[in-house]
Amino acid sequence: MIVPVNVVLGLSAVLFGIGVFGFLARRNIILMLVSVEVMLNAVNLSLAGFSQHLADPSGQIVALFVIAVAAAEAGVGLGLVIALNRNRPGAGVSDLTQLKG
Amino acid sequence: MTVLSAQTVFYYMAAASVTSAILAVTRRNPVHSLLWLLALFLHMAGMFLLLDAEFLAAVQVIVYAGAILVFYLFVLMLLDLPGEEARPRFSRHWPLAAAVGLSFAVLGWLSQIATVDPVGASPDAKSTASAAPPQGSLRAIGLDLFGPFALPFEMASLVLLAAILGAIVVARRRTTRS
Repeated sequence: MIVPVNVVLGLSAVLFGIGVFGFLARRNIILMLVSVEVMLNAVNLSLAGFSQHLADPSGQIVALFVIAVAAAEAGVGLGLVIALNRNRPGAGVSDLTQLKG
Repeated sequence: MTVLSAQTVFYYMAAASVTSAILAVTRRNPVHSLLWLLALFLHMAGMFLLLDAEFLAAVQVIVYAGAILVFYLFVLMLLDLPGEEARPRFSRHWPLAAAVGLSFAVLGWLSQIATVDPVGASPDAKSTASAAPPQGSLRAIGLDLFGPFALPFEMASLVLLAAILGAIVVARRRTTRS
């Protein structure tokens, strides 16, 4: 155990905050998805830190599932971005003011 | 590697990952932003290595940096966003968003201080950590993944299958109707 688990969890909290800021502040849909990836990475880091701290590999397995869900999220999210861009060029969320396709 | 140099490497990676995350969410050019995200992923993989999660580090490099990031870059260049650099990066409410992000970070920080310290002080965790075999965590992960976690593992494959089908259905060009 080279660093205390508090350092890992604090770093994870900071990265999660950065991701939340990016998700709420950016206007481009793709960069909002990038911010979601930052948040998922922060969660993976805290899971790995707990896994090492408690000497239990379950945390790493849950992190693997988080990575699988992140891949699924990227696929569906970017598919939605492509479909939106076909109807209405540009990827700004402020342009999307109606639900009609 | 001595403990001190490993600590130095970890703190370097922590600082570099925070820097590259900030740059990834604030750069104006989306391609620059994605490249900073790549730097974040690679530093995160290094931290996984230092946290004794070798398999997670490999998956991080292969799946995140190799597949997901290339997918993002591919879609970004496919869309060829016109005039993206001329538009404002942030919405009008970005100070509010910064406050929310900061409060999330502070809440996480406070909660880890409140919850983790008693666990770290207990001698049980330390003794089991030292009793763990030093051969790395890959064998334990494999045994768990196909033992107690076999059903969630199959569910993950179902989720990925559903996501593939969903992405195809959503992004398909509707030729039958028009």
